[in-house]
Amino acid sequence: MIHPLAVSHDFGVWVGALLTLMVFSFLYRDNPFYKFAEHVFVGVSAAYWMVIGFWTTLWPRVIVPLIPEASRIVSPDTPLPERDLSAVVPAVLGLMMLSRLVPRLSGLARWPTAFVLGTTAGYAVVRYVRSDFMHQIQATIGDGVLIPAAGGGWNVAESLAALVTLSGTIFGLIYFMNTRRGGTVTTPAARIGLLVLMVTFGASFGSAVMARISLLVGRLQELLGDWLGLL
Amino acid sequence: MSGSRFEALQSIDRRWIFLALAVAVIAALVVQPVFRDSPGELVVPIFAAIEALAPGTPVLISLDYSPSSAPELEPMAAALTRHCLIRGLPVTYLSLWPTGNHMAGRIVERVIGPEYPDAVEGREWVTLGFQAGGELLVHALLDSLGSRFAADVRGIPLIEIPALAQVTGLNDYGIVVSLSAGTPGLKEWVLYGGDVGAFPLAGGCTGVGAPQFFPYYPRQLLGLMAALKGAAEYEAALNDDYADRVPRVMQATRGMGPQTVAHLVIVAFILLGNAGLFIGERRKRGRR
Repeated sequence: MIHPLAVSHDFGVWVGALLTLMVFSFLYRDNPFYKFAEHVFVGVSAAYWMVIGFWTTLWPRVIVPLIPEASRIVSPDTPLPERDLSAVVPAVLGLMMLSRLVPRLSGLARWPTAFVLGTTAGYAVVRYVRSDFMHQIQATIGDGVLIPAAGGGWNVAESLAALVTLSGTIFGLIYFMNTRRGGTVTTPAARIGLLVLMVTFGASFGSAVMARISLLVGRLQELLGDWLGLL
Repeated sequence: MSGSRFEALQSIDRRWIFLALAVAVIAALVVQPVFRDSPGELVVPIFAAIEALAPGTPVLISLDYSPSSAPELEPMAAALTRHCLIRGLPVTYLSLWPTGNHMAGRIVERVIGPEYPDAVEGREWVTLGFQAGGELLVHALLDSLGSRFAADVRGIPLIEIPALAQVTGLNDYGIVVSLSAGTPGLKEWVLYGGDVGAFPLAGGCTGVGAPQFFPYYPRQLLGLMAALKGAAEYEAALNDDYADRVPRVMQATRGMGPQTVAHLVIVAFILLGNAGLFIGERRKRGRR
């Protein structure tokens, strides 16, 4: 039930509430209040990332290993860690990345970029092949379409679900193979595949709408509850 | 009603739809209708796995989200926290997202502090916080938490924290749950953690991300809490088993009322638009 109005005295709650209203104002049309909130969000996010990045990555992984005495600035009583010169490698790569800011030296940035992309690709390919390819194929066809029931016989519901999964996958693949440029479907099987894809996209869209409504509910709960004290 | 009016139904100014949605959600928040959920097929295994853990078994919750998706994922973190603290399972919070420290702080401030005043940080729960690295971090934690976290967020070395007494790497956890709003998140936990390690992995995700994660169940994920509904189902399971030890109506269950009303408004507009289309088309054909 609704409570008497009891507006918050918390400055942070006020800032959050006003910025929320500014963002909501975009639903009517673009306006300076929305633009202000948008710029504040981008600026605060960048600053937050920079501060977190400095204290969780640069400081403990690069600066302290290279200059152990620096750790005394934050905690004077802790014992000095050992110097670790291997931190020079990421430090140099990081500085090379910053060379993009100087047009004459910007070519140097390609080296750390190549290092990051190469490492990530090499590392990811094995995992993706195993988890997203092999395991997913196993999950689709591994148990077949006739799932035994615990007490003997067949579990009709699970067998039907397995059949829909397997046939949906096959028809979905056929759609991509039997579709001409421009989206013309050439076979009945591809038409079924198109139907499967449309149902999938519909479910995904419905799920996305549900998520957005949850966020709306969350914001309104904060506005009516934390800010105005009505809930 | 003339044909043009039926056509108008198909092109209602979107601002009227926004207004109708806002009014419906606000009305539902004020009236607070409660629609009780029951634990679903994907949520029950997570609840059962935590129920089956012996008291003292550590549980890891990875808070891989930010304030923008907290309305969906925070109720999951709160419900899991309640369940673990009731069962005497020490909780470790960490995050692949820079905003994770703040998200863990909100759970402590809103759930642990008010509802479990006897719980002690370091004994009942510990916050390791954010570390950069995403998938590389998950992979590194498999063997050793200490390789990437020297101390918790208070600066206390891991070796001095009772909640981590049994923990060396991820395989020492009774269950790992990633509450994920994007990348890095649950996908990285599946690919670089669950599929490689020997610990049960479960997840919670936003409604937007849910279709991406359903295929991982049940082989690669023990269970999945999808969106606010998944959180409400977990709360329902808690209410079924621990009615006297948890709030009667928790955050997600409270949110499902306005959510349901908003869905009804959207469905009404879809029906209205389609009715306009079909009746308008029929009238046009009749005139021809």
